Amino acid sequence: MTEGQAGVAAIAFEQVEKGFDDRKVLDKVSFTVAQGEALCILGRSGTGKSVTLKLMIGLLMADAGKVLVTGKDMSALDEHGLVKVRRKMGYLFQSAALFDSFTVNENLCMPLHRLDPNKSPEEIKRVVEETLGEVGLAKDGNKMPSALSGGMQKRAGLARALVLQPEILLVDEPASGLDRITASEIDALLMKVKTERHTTMVIVTHDINGARKIADKFAVLDQGRLLAFGTPQELDSRNDNRLQQFIAERC
Amino acid sequence: MLKSLFDSIGQVALFGAKAIRDAWVPPFEGEYLLMQFYEIGVGSFFLVVASGLALGVVMTLHTRSTLVQFGATAEIPVFQSLAFFNEIGPLVAALLMAGRVGAGIGAQLANMRATEQIDAIETLSVDSFKLLVVTRVIACTVMLPLLTMFMDAAGIFGGFLSEHIWSHLSWTLYMQRAFDGVALADFLPPTLKTAVFGYLIAVISCFYGYNTNEGSDGVRKAATNSVVVSSLVVILADVILVKCIFFLFPDQAI
Repeated sequence: MTEGQAGVAAIAFEQVEKGFDDRKVLDKVSFTVAQGEALCILGRSGTGKSVTLKLMIGLLMADAGKVLVTGKDMSALDEHGLVKVRRKMGYLFQSAALFDSFTVNENLCMPLHRLDPNKSPEEIKRVVEETLGEVGLAKDGNKMPSALSGGMQKRAGLARALVLQPEILLVDEPASGLDRITASEIDALLMKVKTERHTTMVIVTHDINGARKIADKFAVLDQGRLLAFGTPQELDSRNDNRLQQFIAERC
Repeated sequence: MLKSLFDSIGQVALFGAKAIRDAWVPPFEGEYLLMQFYEIGVGSFFLVVASGLALGVVMTLHTRSTLVQFGATAEIPVFQSLAFFNEIGPLVAALLMAGRVGAGIGAQLANMRATEQIDAIETLSVDSFKLLVVTRVIACTVMLPLLTMFMDAAGIFGGFLSEHIWSHLSWTLYMQRAFDGVALADFLPPTLKTAVFGYLIAVISCFYGYNTNEGSDGVRKAATNSVVVSSLVVILADVILVKCIFFLFPDQAI
């Protein structure tokens, strides 16, 4: 689906700049993600990929430029406005970031209880069971996060990100710390979310093989600047050695 | 150095003021608040009671060795109760809470920050400050006066055990002597001042835990700073509050 067909872009970066102390992490970065599209952000470590995700969900604010999510300027929103925009988004953290004093079920119940107070306990239980079933953790709801393997934690984190049926899913390094088989299982889950729910996705990854399976577009960041942006086919056809280092398939 | 100290005091004060303001704004996070009451109150109960009991026994042993020289051992129970109500109960309970709960809060919140759990709460459109800080501040403020009452009771009971073993003093006579001449003003203001101690311990510990950003070293620093700073602030606050109590209840100062 293109931006023109879908109307307002799900996410738009307009000349975004972000720095920490005296180090500029993002320098005049601009791109858009259309609704229902999957964008993979590639690049070396420390080039601002995770910062880009955090800007999208308002955990960080841009120093200059605009971050628009469903047409709303994140830096212009008050607390209430920010909550409304975040309500449309899910975020899978690199470490899964499950609440370690809660069971997996409680991790998923927490946002449902608070953001959907009209839901009955039975309804919440059903939604949690369904979502855990979707990620293959139907029997693990009563476990504590510490009792789960890395791959299972990622699945549980994904379930928590999906439990509110977000329009936009942000994923930080889904393959990080996982073996190739488990990483492909997570990729398959993301593919399923994309095709079945038509969720807009922005995925930060180093795993080019996984990215090629999921992405409609690539954004390549290098030293804080957007080196390239386009479909995998468009970028493959470019005769740019530096770019090819990032997007060439690996065995 | 002085500027950075005042800077930190200002930041903690604003953090504490925000906790008070947000405590009155819904949602009230009742379920999580109950968890904190349990964790902070019930979790500290045995430590406080055991410490109170031991202190009560030791205090009586020390007092007896002095008062026996003046033939005033009959005054031991009332010395014991006044000492516990006025100072030992409130201060020791607060210092125990600073050690157990303060370190726990500092370390837990710092760990949640380091492992992005606090960010995760924010991404779920839940106010992490209300959920993690406000609930702990309310729980500490409410639970410390209750724990102080248990410490007072345990201290007086410890005193009785010691006296009973030494002089076979009966429970009825001990209690009669312990509360003879003790007014409500001896008990209520010192116990209520611990609500301020509880608030200070929670605000300082939450401040260090919530605002850390240095990974596992941040967890260590947050836990250490929570205990050291909150213990120090409790002792300083005690001096000020005792002065205030003497001002409001002049009979106490005599």
